[in-house]
Amino acid sequence: MQLSRDALLAAYRRMKIIREFEERLHIEIQTGEIAGFTHLYCGQEAVAVGVCDHLSADDKIVSTHRGHGHCLAKGCDVNDMMKEIWGSREGLCKGKGGSMHIADVTKGMLGANGIVGAGAPIAVGAALASRVDGPGPNGLNVAIAFSGDGACNQGTTFEAMNFAVVTNAPCIFVFENNHYSEHTGVDYAVGTARDIASRAEAFGMKVWRADGTDFFAVFECMREVLEHVRAGNGPAAVEFDTERFFGHFEGDPQRYRGPGELERIRETRDCLKNFRASVKGASLLADADLDTVDAEVMEAIEAAVAAARAAERPTAEDVLADVYISY
Amino acid sequence: MSKMMYRAAVLSTIMEEMERDPNVVVLGEDVVGGMGTAGGPEAIGGIWSTSTGLYDKFGPTRVIDTPISESAIVGAAGGLALAGKRPIAELMFADFIGVSLDQIWNQLAKFRYMFGGKTKCPAVIRMAYGAGYNAAAQHSQSVHQILTGMPGLKVVMPTTPADVKGLLRTAIRDDDPVIFLEHKALYAVQGEVPDDPDFMIPFGHARLSRAGGDVTIISSGLLLGMCEAVADKLAAEGIGCDVIDLRTTSPLDEETILDSVEVTGRVVVVDEAPPRCGLGADLCALVAEKAFSSLKAPPLQVTPPHTPIPFARELESNYLPSVDKIEAAVRRVLSYR
Amino acid sequence: MPDIRPFCMPKWGIEMTEGTLAEWMVAEGETFSKGQLLCLIETAKITNEVEAEYDAVLARVLVPAGGAEQPVGALLAVTAAPGTDAAEIDAFIAAFKPADTSVAARGGSSDAAPAPAAAAAAPVTNAPRKIETNRPISPEALKFAEDNGVDIDPIVGSGRGGRITLQDVHQAARYPANPALTGTLSVEAEDRAVFASPLARRIAAQHGISLSGVKGTGPRGRISKADVLALVPAPASAAPAAFGAPFVAVANTPTVTRFDSVRKVVAQRLTEAKQTIPHFYLRMSANVDKLMELRKTANLVLGCKASLNDYVVMASARALAQHRDVNVQVHGQEIHSFPHADISIAVASPKGLVTPVVRQADRMRIDQIASATSALIEKAKSGRLGMDDMAGGSFSISNLGMFGIEDFDAIINPPQGAILAVGTITREAVEDGEGFAFESRMRFTLSVDHRAIDGAGGAQFLATLKSLLENPETLFA
Repeated sequence: MQLSRDALLAAYRRMKIIREFEERLHIEIQTGEIAGFTHLYCGQEAVAVGVCDHLSADDKIVSTHRGHGHCLAKGCDVNDMMKEIWGSREGLCKGKGGSMHIADVTKGMLGANGIVGAGAPIAVGAALASRVDGPGPNGLNVAIAFSGDGACNQGTTFEAMNFAVVTNAPCIFVFENNHYSEHTGVDYAVGTARDIASRAEAFGMKVWRADGTDFFAVFECMREVLEHVRAGNGPAAVEFDTERFFGHFEGDPQRYRGPGELERIRETRDCLKNFRASVKGASLLADADLDTVDAEVMEAIEAAVAAARAAERPTAEDVLADVYISY
Repeated sequence: MSKMMYRAAVLSTIMEEMERDPNVVVLGEDVVGGMGTAGGPEAIGGIWSTSTGLYDKFGPTRVIDTPISESAIVGAAGGLALAGKRPIAELMFADFIGVSLDQIWNQLAKFRYMFGGKTKCPAVIRMAYGAGYNAAAQHSQSVHQILTGMPGLKVVMPTTPADVKGLLRTAIRDDDPVIFLEHKALYAVQGEVPDDPDFMIPFGHARLSRAGGDVTIISSGLLLGMCEAVADKLAAEGIGCDVIDLRTTSPLDEETILDSVEVTGRVVVVDEAPPRCGLGADLCALVAEKAFSSLKAPPLQVTPPHTPIPFARELESNYLPSVDKIEAAVRRVLSYR
Repeated sequence: MPDIRPFCMPKWGIEMTEGTLAEWMVAEGETFSKGQLLCLIETAKITNEVEAEYDAVLARVLVPAGGAEQPVGALLAVTAAPGTDAAEIDAFIAAFKPADTSVAARGGSSDAAPAPAAAAAAPVTNAPRKIETNRPISPEALKFAEDNGVDIDPIVGSGRGGRITLQDVHQAARYPANPALTGTLSVEAEDRAVFASPLARRIAAQHGISLSGVKGTGPRGRISKADVLALVPAPASAAPAAFGAPFVAVANTPTVTRFDSVRKVVAQRLTEAKQTIPHFYLRMSANVDKLMELRKTANLVLGCKASLNDYVVMASARALAQHRDVNVQVHGQEIHSFPHADISIAVASPKGLVTPVVRQADRMRIDQIASATSALIEKAKSGRLGMDDMAGGSFSISNLGMFGIEDFDAIINPPQGAILAVGTITREAVEDGEGFAFESRMRFTLSVDHRAIDGAGGAQFLATLKSLLENPETLFA
């Protein structure tokens, strides 16, 4: 499937936004201005964008603790997200959620999630809701459970996969294998040795595998997956092999990395570099086009940080706002 | 008014609400019963007979028979609710919150607040609780004290068929997650139930099932009947008891409790859950904090001992609060000097 | 400060509607100072002294002593600064409008604003009043606030959503507590060699005792309170005079105490009573064995702490309701007989004898009487009895049994018609078939005003009282 020039630019812009959003947070977090735990998505942008570019607002996604990329790809507002991470009452969740709990249900984004493996059952529920509504002109709306190689070991994920198969739910389990569950390697923690998709297959659903650092591979793979699921053939699973450029959380000393590992993956497994090389090689876009996008994105991120800094802080009264049982 | 059993009140309310609102969806283990067997769908129809006939009427998209996967059941209810449906999930036994607690506690209970008030989570999680069946330690527990302690959950524990009807309808139409606790020893209890298809009982409104000015007895569920028996016995001696059926432990009808204690000055909380950090302790603390000047005796709680629930008939009957134990507690607060 | 001020008939208690000016203690034209006795005013229930609230001249007396009854709020006199022109005072009197203290005025329908000075003269701070409020408040809390005239406006409710609880109103109605502070203590730090209970550590710190080396006898060898107390030195007692020392006289100077206002009133009224009322006395005793038994059971069942005296109050009240000829007040040439018994109970307070009233005691259960008397005694002991607590009463009871007094004759508490003096319980031998048995007997003396009550009437009342006390189950009928 051939993407238009505009679609290519838009996809690149979304990946770049995620990249710069995270790179900037990495810097800002060191000042101590941002509270709490932050887990950066940097390096995995091609997966979020390659998946979500196929989706409408009626399709749902459920994300993970490493959720900024999924949120941005699914259409959450950059400024509102930045404000949320800064803990402002103008944030997407009014400062109540923070990095790990960003949600925008109006965009079909049912929440980042601080509990590893908790999202998959929720995605199945959203898929069952779509089954109640029945197919639209483009087939069934889908629900996507993003999970990592860590969550693939949780019983909830297994329950959810079997549940989805049994109920024929239009649910897609996207496993982003970035080779690390927190600080532990996939070779140790995943018994099926670097193969998560086969687990999903064993539950009785069709599976796909692709290189998660290649936007075009992700995008093309997802086209097939969605065709299958929207047609009412039940759930599916995809495993994307990808890379995490930062630690598990901000402040992780990453002593588990091999010598030169970070430099190597930044050099050879960077989805943005790969994208630039591909479009240039195929003469689809020029460097100048992408440079313009880069400059616009940097401006947008700069503006978002400035807005977050200036945004109104929550008050003591806000603690009790949006409470439905009070004592 | 019609006479019906507690379990029939559950089923008929679900039936009526599913007819009224196409967004109402039921899911749970064996809610259809017999799926994938020679007997076929509806061979069982729910082990408590609280979902019989739903599948035939509403079909597999709205009546979802699930694998034994409590986390996935509750999580799916959360996903359905976020996606605009009104799921009613059933956990066959309340004890199974253990394997689904993350979804109840970290997910459904928190969505609305954690997402800045921008979403609703209209899910009902029904579960059968309570002792009296010699079902031992993992199938007899009362879990309201655990769930009431979790901000973001509404916790309902009806005592009568009429309250089942009014409270379950309110739960289904409510926009927040509601834990609906059905006492398994009450399922066969008969009672008059209003026929009004919109009969609802708002949450946080306790029922005064007996009125008297000398002592306040607070309970809900199976033990309420014992409290009423004690009140009736003491009434013959000229001792008047306020018996308060809480109906919902969250939200709590603080006003009804304090209004009564301000008159009686004596309070006994009767609860089926263990004594530590439970409903009894919570209500004793409430009256100590807010009605200290009215108290004429220390608040007492009547609960089982702080042990798992034992199996044998003699053990279980000794474990549970009884009419005698409640009466003794009431007399103790009356004789305090 | 206005120079010319009205002096009006005050309102004491809820029911006072009119009063009589008994005596002016300051003459017209005389200067008086704050705290000085201005006049005596009589109401249906009491005679009270009125003290000046400020310094001024009694410029004009409008109601002379001994005149007709005046309604509450009526202008009795006008006070003014020295040298105020008589014409100004005339103008003031002409323009004066009495404040309307009727129920209608409290309902807010009066068109005339009450005169501030008149309002100031009426000490009705704790009078019951209707409270109209939209604030969330429990029914008992509202009732208490209304009955006791508690202002709920400043109360911050502690209930859910700021709802006012009964406890909140109770607190607002009380004087602020002065906690007995013990301050901080330097408590010996926990060390591994010394294993002592926190209380033992505290006591050791209070007495400067080191715990190291102390052997603990508590659980698991812990140093307990008793272990430390054993080490606390006994307080040195005053050395007794050496045996055989010669007697030396010491100074025996009297401490002079002037009558305070309570004692003045008590002295005046009792003197008047003893001198003017023709007293006669009726004596009787009752077997109270059954009563003492029943009291134990009833206290258990009702959860109250009713004393034997509470039962005497109850039995007397019931007997008075049956014998209305004894349940009377004497007012000049009139006998006022009441359907219900308002019983004054004599209480020794730090300020002297006071007689607060248990109202309609004949209609109360024993637990209600017990809580009423204990509340009144508590108030009396803390000096917080109000005019409302003491006003009225159709009968008095004075009990000295707790001091071992066997019997005594009490002075009637005017304008009441009788007073019952209650003595201690003695064990007395009585004939029991062929032998003797001991029973508990309580002695009573009824002092009676012969102007209003005859001997037979008093005796019939006592017979009923005796029957009620000896068959106490009838009190619960």
